[in-house]
Amino acid sequence: MSVKYVPVTWNRNKLIYDLVLIAGVVLYIYVYLMVAPAFQAVTRPPDGAILRMQAFGSCAFVMLSVILCIGPLARLDRRFLPLLYNRRHFGVLTCAVAFVHASYVLGWYFAFSPVDPYVAMLSSNTSFGQVQGFPFEALGIAALLILLILAVTSHDFWLAFLTPTVWKAIHMSIYLCYALVVMHVALGYLQSAENPVFAVVVGASVLTVSGLHFAASRIPARAEPERLEEGGTGWVVAGDVADIAEKRGITFDVPGGERVAIFKYDGKLSALTNACAHQNGPLGEGKIIAGCVTCPWHGFQFDPASGRAPAPFTDKIATYRLKLDGSRILLDPRPNPPGTHVDPVTIPDELAKVT
Amino acid sequence: MAVANDKQREPFFVGYFNKIPAPLVPFLAIACGMFVAGMGLLSFSLATTANDPGDGRFVWNRVEMTGIITTEPYPVLYAPDAETGEPTAFLLSGQGKRGPGVGRTLEDGMAVLAGGVLLKRGSIDMIQLAGGERGVKPANGGTGTPPEGFAPPEPVSLGRWRLTGEICDGKCYQGAMRPGRGLAHKACASLCLIGEIPTVFVSTGNVEGEEFFLLADKDGKAAPDAIYDLLALTVSLEGEVERRGNLLVFKADFDTAELL
Ligand code: FES
Repeated sequence: MSVKYVPVTWNRNKLIYDLVLIAGVVLYIYVYLMVAPAFQAVTRPPDGAILRMQAFGSCAFVMLSVILCIGPLARLDRRFLPLLYNRRHFGVLTCAVAFVHASYVLGWYFAFSPVDPYVAMLSSNTSFGQVQGFPFEALGIAALLILLILAVTSHDFWLAFLTPTVWKAIHMSIYLCYALVVMHVALGYLQSAENPVFAVVVGASVLTVSGLHFAASRIPARAEPERLEEGGTGWVVAGDVADIAEKRGITFDVPGGERVAIFKYDGKLSALTNACAHQNGPLGEGKIIAGCVTCPWHGFQFDPASGRAPAPFTDKIATYRLKLDGSRILLDPRPNPPGTHVDPVTIPDELAKVT
Repeated sequence: MAVANDKQREPFFVGYFNKIPAPLVPFLAIACGMFVAGMGLLSFSLATTANDPGDGRFVWNRVEMTGIITTEPYPVLYAPDAETGEPTAFLLSGQGKRGPGVGRTLEDGMAVLAGGVLLKRGSIDMIQLAGGERGVKPANGGTGTPPEGFAPPEPVSLGRWRLTGEICDGKCYQGAMRPGRGLAHKACASLCLIGEIPTVFVSTGNVEGEEFFLLADKDGKAAPDAIYDLLALTVSLEGEVERRGNLLVFKADFDTAELL
C-alpha cells in the first residue's frame, strides 16, 4: 500500500516468509546435488551440468505447484491466508530458479557447437507436428517468459499502473504457465524416465492443484438472504445487527450481483463494496483496525464511512446507504460513487447491548 | 443469513503488521516446516531415481593410432589391435559438436596417424580427434603408407533385421555427455548430427551379442534427414546388419521406420 513505490517494504513477516522459502529451495538443491548422488544407483554419475539442470528444473516445477495450491488452500482454510500475503516473492524466486535451469540447458546441451546457442535452441528440434519428440523446450521457454513477465510486473507499481483488472488478468496467465510446464515435463524428461517416481510426482502435482481448485470452487455459496422490498424503494434486508461481531463485517449479495460488506464498529454500522481496490480481496472478511476496514489479503485500509483510504493514500471504493428497522439492517442496493461519505448508522443502545 | 459467524471470531492476520496472531503461529510453523521438509524429501526421491546414464566417459590421455580410414557411412578408423593385429574400429569425431571431417578431408582408404582422446563406452571406442595435424596426418612419417599387410575388414552381411531402439548421436552416447541419450537430450543430439557427428543406433535387443550399431541408410550412406524426427525416440527400423570387424553397421530402410 505504498504511494511512494519502494522495491519491497520489508517487515518481520516477509522476512520469515522469504527465509522459509529460501530454506526450502536451498535444501532442495543441496540434497539434489550434494546428498542424493551418494545414493544414486548409477554406473557413473551424470554430468554436473545435467545434474544441476535436473535439480533446478524439478525444483521450479515443485515450487510452481505449491504456489498454485496456496490460493485454494486459503479459500478452504483461512489459516493459510498469511501464505497468500507474500506469494509474489514465491513467484519471483520460482522464476529465478527456472532461469538457472534454462541457463544450464543453454550452456550445456546447446553449447560446444558451431551454431549459436540461442539459434540452436530454437532451431535444433523442429518436430512440431508430432507429440512424441515434440520440441518441448519451446513450451519451457514460453513458461519461463510468462514467469519473467509476472515477476517483473509483480510490484504494486504495476498493479496501479495497469489497473487491478488488467493486472489480475495478466497474472492469471500463471495457470497457462503451469500447463506449459506440465507439458514441458511430460513431453520431455518424463518420456525417457525409467523410474515411475517422477511421473507420480507430476501426476500428484496436477491432481492436487486441480483438486484444490475444484474443492475451493465448490465452497457452498452463501445462503440466499431474505430480500424485502421496502415500499418499492429497492431497499433490501441485509441482515441483523446481532449477526455482526464488533469490528467485523458480513458480506451480502445485492440483487444484480454486487457484493456488499457491512461493518459494525463503535456502536455504528457502515456498508462498502466487498471488493478491495487492490486486487478485489474480500473486504467483508476483513476487520476494523485503527478505525479502518482492513483487507484480509494484503491489508489495504479504507475508512468505513467514506470508502477512502487514509491519507496519504488515494484509493477509493463505493459506499452504500444503510438504515435500521428494529434490529434488521436495511440496505439501499445502489452503490454511491467511490469515496462518497455516508453517515454511519448508529445502533441504539438497547440493540448494542445484545451483542 | 449472509454471515459466516465463525469467520468473524478467527484470528486476523495483516501482513504488514509484525505480529502473527498467536493461535496461528503453531499452524503456520507446521505448514512452513512441512514445506521445507517436503522439499528435501522430494529432492531426494527425484534425484535418486533418475536414469542410470551409463558408463560412457572421456579418457583424458592423448592417444595415437595408425590405421586406415573408411568413410561410409561415417568416417571410422581401423587400426591393428596391439595384441592380435586384428582390425579394430574406432568411431571418430572432431572437437565439440563437430564431425571428424570438419575442417579436413578424410578419404576412403587413407592411411593416417590419428591423435586425440578416447571416449569409451561398451566395446567400441571413439577418438575425439585433435585439431589439424595433431588430429590426422599421413601415416608412417607423412608418407601415407599403411601398416604392412593391414587392411580394413571386409563387410559380412548378417542378414535383414527389424530392430527396436533409439537413434543417438555417437559422441554424446559414447560419454561426451552423461546421460547422452533420451528425450531431454534430443535437441543436443540434433545439434551433434547437424555438426556431422556419426549417427548410431542403440537397440533394445541384440544381434550377435551387440546392441550398438553405426547407423546408415539402406545404401550404406550417412543416415538421411528423416532421422531428426526419429531421434531420441523409441523407433523400430528394418534393414541389413553388416559386420565390419568388431563394428556392426545397421543399413536401415527409413521407409520402414515406426515410432513406438
Ligand atoms: S486485495 Fe490486496 S489488500 Fe485487498
